[in-house]
Amino acid sequence: MREGRTRLSRPLRTAAAAALIAAAAAGCGFGEGEASSGTATLVVTRDHGDERLLEASVSDPPRSETVVRLLDREAEIETSFGGNFVDSIDGLGASSGPEGRRDWFFYVNGYWSPIGAAEAGVEAGDRIWWDYRLWEEAYRVPVVVGSWPAPFATEPGPVSVECHGIAGCSTVKRRLQTAGAELAAAGDSVAVRVVVGPWDQIEDDADAGTLAGGPGSSGVYVDDRADGALFALGEDGEPAPGAPQLDGLVAAVRRGERPPAWVVTGITRRGLRLAASSLDAGALADRYALAVGRDGSRFGLPVVKG
Amino acid sequence: MVGPAAVAMAFANPLVLAGCAVAVLIAGSGAGAAAALRHAAGGALVLAALIVAINGLVVRRGETVLLRGGEVPLLGELDVTAEALAEGAVIGVRIAVVIAAFAVISARVDPDYLLRSIRRFAGRSALTATLLVRLVPLAVADLGRLREAAQLRGPGATPVTRLAMLRRLVSGTLDRAVDSAATLEVRGYGRPAVRLGRDARPGRRRFDRHFTVAAIALAAVAAAARAGGVGGFDAYPSTTAEIDAATVAFALAIPALVGVPFLAAGSRSV
Repeated sequence: MREGRTRLSRPLRTAAAAALIAAAAAGCGFGEGEASSGTATLVVTRDHGDERLLEASVSDPPRSETVVRLLDREAEIETSFGGNFVDSIDGLGASSGPEGRRDWFFYVNGYWSPIGAAEAGVEAGDRIWWDYRLWEEAYRVPVVVGSWPAPFATEPGPVSVECHGIAGCSTVKRRLQTAGAELAAAGDSVAVRVVVGPWDQIEDDADAGTLAGGPGSSGVYVDDRADGALFALGEDGEPAPGAPQLDGLVAAVRRGERPPAWVVTGITRRGLRLAASSLDAGALADRYALAVGRDGSRFGLPVVKG
Repeated sequence: MVGPAAVAMAFANPLVLAGCAVAVLIAGSGAGAAAALRHAAGGALVLAALIVAINGLVVRRGETVLLRGGEVPLLGELDVTAEALAEGAVIGVRIAVVIAAFAVISARVDPDYLLRSIRRFAGRSALTATLLVRLVPLAVADLGRLREAAQLRGPGATPVTRLAMLRRLVSGTLDRAVDSAATLEVRGYGRPAVRLGRDARPGRRRFDRHFTVAAIALAAVAAAARAGGVGGFDAYPSTTAEIDAATVAFALAIPALVGVPFLAAGSRSV
């Protein structure tokens, strides 16, 4: 043996090689792999869900199914980074205009994906949502309500419902259970929090309180005033002219890597009850957050100029 | 030769690429550059194979999953699809055609003649290109000689840093550039142009016109094919390639247009 060099003993070399082979072989296989039973859906929208561009589904997706493969079958796309970054869908790509910069974002079961489209797998029951939107006011929108009943139907783990008062509480619980959520018992660690109550009673909650910071803080296009009222914002982050005064709100927030929190609230009891009864696919579909006006109307947030 | 290379970069259809490859082979053989082609082919094929392998490992698009490679550190989930391999093959063939084309150009094209040809309508550009063509290879040769000289000083000598090497190289090149400028000045470059009589102009080679017409025809055919959507190819989500009459005709036209001037010339130099 030359001075200054060391060699592994033969048994160590054999063990190292076996470990490398085993690591490489883990998860390997030929072909598409086993299929999961059920349907995954794909929705493509623009302008914070204001306009639906495409809707598709795949039955029994195989193990190798990814978000980019599903999208590639349904639309003309251009990608980079090996398919991980989608540059354009059906000719619509990153742009910069007088209103600001737009680009594509995608959500899996209501969660903004932290990984690229080529790495994000698709299983039965998943809801994939691509949205082309302005992003300068809120680049990071970690969770959205528009994939209902996801995440409650898809996320393993119990859901805690924290009620501040009676109004709307039983409605929320019933709707969550119908969606497939397992309600948590006291002391359980939870996958999702749901905070229900009048705004003036929950605004100090750590998660719900982020709504007061505006879209840059919470990802939700709503802001509060000194008098405790909430008002709707447009895509530019400014108060939306002509929008009804807010009376109720269904929104989702997430602080860092903590479990997400859904907020069902209202300025009045009526607003809170209307917000609670909005927990269904018809009202929440393609919404980042849902607002209920004083006039009882429901509209998505941010308010998109017509 | 630039024509088939340019067409190969503009089209991804396998038939069209095959036509470009055949065109390069015809031109290379016709120009007496078969040895240069053989020399370039080995490296080009190895490079093409590498591109196929890398594209297959890195790109995760494509419907036909051949192999699921599991989670690999730094690379993430590895899937190898037939479509990614096909795209890699297209890229590899393109690069191989370009390498082969420029191998023929390098072996057989007289750069001085080429520059004289464009001097009439782009004199300064021709001069700049001439100087580059002359000085860059000389600089590369100088670098080789400087390295040899440094090595011959023996292991005991102080190592020559890259900065010192670069400084010597640049000063030598600048000296040559000054000498070239002085020579040009003596030869009257920069004075008002003198119109030459017809008999005094540099002579053309006999079959330049044939090759020029063929090159223009190839460019026109390629532009028409592009505008007409001929020779389509999509790697994803499933690989599809047009193999209709128009694409076949285009693919056959490429080697035909390249080969005809050689038939007319029967010449072994361009």
